Amino acid sequence: MRGQTHIGGAVTPIVSDIIEHARLAARAFTEFGEHLLHPTIRLGVTGLSRAGKTVFITALLHGLLRGGRFPVFEPLASGRIAGARLAPQPDDAVPRFDYERHVRSVVIEREWPESTRQISELRIVIEYQSMSGFMRTLTLDIVDYPGEWLLDLPLLDKSYEQWSAETLAHLRRTTRPPLPKPFLEQIATVDPLAPADENAAIEAARLFTAYLLACRKEHQTLSMVAPGRFLMPGDFAGSPALTFAPLALPADQEPPAGCTWAMMRRRYDAYRDAVVRPFFRDHFARLDRQIVLVDVLTALDAGPQAMRDLQDAMVAVLDCFRVGRGGWLSALFKPRADRILFAATKADQLHHSAHDRLEAILKQITEGAIARAGDAGAEVDVIALAAVRATREALVRVEGGGLPSIVGVATPGEWTNGQHFDGKTEMAFFPGDLPTENLQGGDFRSIRFRPPALEETDDGIPALPHIRLDRALQFLIGDRLR
Amino acid sequence: MTETLRKPAIFSVDDPRLVVAEPDKAQRSSVETLVEAPVENLPAVSAPRKRRIPWGAMFWWALSGLVLLALGLAVTNLVGDLFARAPWLGGIGLALALVAGLALLVVMLREIVGLARLATVESMRRRAQDVIASDDRERGRALVADMLSLTRRIPRLARARARLSDHQADIIDGRDLVRLAERELMSPLDIEARRLVVSASKRVSVVTAISPRAAVDMVFVLVNALSLVRKLAVLYGGRPGALGVFKLLRQVMSHLALTGGVSLTDSVVQQVIGHGLATRLSARLGEGMVNGLLTARLGLLTIDLVRPLPFHELPRPALNDLAGTLLRPAEGGDAAKNQ
Repeated sequence: MRGQTHIGGAVTPIVSDIIEHARLAARAFTEFGEHLLHPTIRLGVTGLSRAGKTVFITALLHGLLRGGRFPVFEPLASGRIAGARLAPQPDDAVPRFDYERHVRSVVIEREWPESTRQISELRIVIEYQSMSGFMRTLTLDIVDYPGEWLLDLPLLDKSYEQWSAETLAHLRRTTRPPLPKPFLEQIATVDPLAPADENAAIEAARLFTAYLLACRKEHQTLSMVAPGRFLMPGDFAGSPALTFAPLALPADQEPPAGCTWAMMRRRYDAYRDAVVRPFFRDHFARLDRQIVLVDVLTALDAGPQAMRDLQDAMVAVLDCFRVGRGGWLSALFKPRADRILFAATKADQLHHSAHDRLEAILKQITEGAIARAGDAGAEVDVIALAAVRATREALVRVEGGGLPSIVGVATPGEWTNGQHFDGKTEMAFFPGDLPTENLQGGDFRSIRFRPPALEETDDGIPALPHIRLDRALQFLIGDRLR
Repeated sequence: MTETLRKPAIFSVDDPRLVVAEPDKAQRSSVETLVEAPVENLPAVSAPRKRRIPWGAMFWWALSGLVLLALGLAVTNLVGDLFARAPWLGGIGLALALVAGLALLVVMLREIVGLARLATVESMRRRAQDVIASDDRERGRALVADMLSLTRRIPRLARARARLSDHQADIIDGRDLVRLAERELMSPLDIEARRLVVSASKRVSVVTAISPRAAVDMVFVLVNALSLVRKLAVLYGGRPGALGVFKLLRQVMSHLALTGGVSLTDSVVQQVIGHGLATRLSARLGEGMVNGLLTARLGLLTIDLVRPLPFHELPRPALNDLAGTLLRPAEGGDAAKNQ
């Protein structure tokens, strides 16, 4: 099933599948016509919560609009890009990406944008001169969304029973605090075959949500647990579609009508159809280019289990995407991302001599997805990236050679030895060596830095420093700007 | 990879052990690798050539030694004779001989330096290919530093050099660094090189078409080719001496002989048909065109040899691009400059 059907699965009714595909094809067809007149790229920025999607988009837009320092991004470096401007986005029902506020937050207040709570979109029009001398425009559509929602995509292929079993297995296995003890105790009292009890369902959903929230608060990175909409329900708060929980179900049995099991299953299906599927349809099924942002460093800091969670989550999520090079027919009816870039974000927490190792680790985590995309004919690249570079590099001479360190202002907090950061003074850090092949061992600390202080230049705000953002741009849209 | 993983640590910015000027340090270390790299590369390049022709080289060595000795002997005899005739004549003779000796030494040194520069250009190209293949950051940095020092005498690159050295401290990967250097440093030179080739081949084709004797245009073609090779080498920072130019010309000629003056990548058909048509019109015109095309081809081959970076990011000029501009002036007027 991998690689062919991405929506629906063995259990989903085939009819709804066909309707869904027809819908996607119809829209792809109309968009194809439009794109002939106005070349457009839909850039998918994919990443789990806190991977740095918003910062990436902000830095990218800032660089394009203000003409950043992008030596490797050929169209801009060689002066072929005349200018770029923001334009009204194509989808009227989606909020606008609040570019101005995010820029202000990073550049002036020197705070990272707060975590994204809703989906938003922005369109940027690049005016450039082609290699052969024609003036052209390229439209770039970028979507930002809460990373938590991404974890829902694997649900598209799962039935309630499958999801229940997998989630419970994970909950029972996990040893990372916080432990889901209250929830497990509560559902132990629920009999799935008994007549439906709304109060028990509400209580179970509440405890389940509480556990998810505690997880997110504790780890900052949430890699494993779906459904993501429980964390930021928005308009769906309190609706039945968000009032379900995994249950311990007997195997090889169909639920009798009117029991708790049947009710939970109906709600799960409703969640999938009303929440997950539109999200996938509107934002993932029609991407031309894709960048997958992975925060490897935070997971490394958190330990082997977090790394495993991250790896599992990436595998599950990346399975859902349509990648590969298609012919003209698939361009008409079934667009696919033909370039996909895997980026380990926050590379500014490392000295550049460690970047190769970081890229190797990311390659290892996303191995399956890379192979699959490569087989499908998509171009794949893996880089270490920092959309906004918050540190400088330095060398500390100690016994036994120099420690390649970084200098920056850490966000207020505490270091392992109890030293306190006030968020104002600069410090030099050596974050520890990255683990080698097996991803095990090693003592690595990921430090959150504040955005860099920028000197005011004559023309207002200077370009944001970055690491390899230009290479990412060149890979993602450079070939369309020839 | 059995090295122990180092523990995280934290330092104050005022710590005396802290060296913030890291890019500078990286450059210095890259200079060290820069010294190592050519030593590694050069023997590998010249080794097979030495093994192939030891006798020929030895013959030339011995012969030139003999000639030098004979010359020395003749000069000493002459100075001796002059002294015998009159001491002041002898003094003048000695002084002249010393000056000649000194000048010869300087000329030879210059030739050696020119040859060494050509070898540097060649090793540079090989290193660039290595870096493109391996995407190695440190070696890429070393290469860019070398490119900057190689091109520091080319005035038209002042701005490009400033831009490039501005990016030296940035974190850019090896392959991208080579691309960047090629785009910044090579593109103005490529345009000029193209212009040189086109104008040389135009000249050749016109002179061949109107010259009264075959001997005249043969000499002209040869002289023109020599000056084209020298100009291209100088343009790309090679600055070869007379020996260097001859060496280059020999390499180009052996290449031309191999491909028979026609590269498979060029459209043979176009050349044949063009030649046939022109011959119908006039035999001289056809000959002129063939000579012009040959000169252009020679120019393109020379560019491949003297360009310190391989064509990776920028398009390699092809005979077809030049042929168009070559043919048009034959139809009238040189309004058709290269675009």
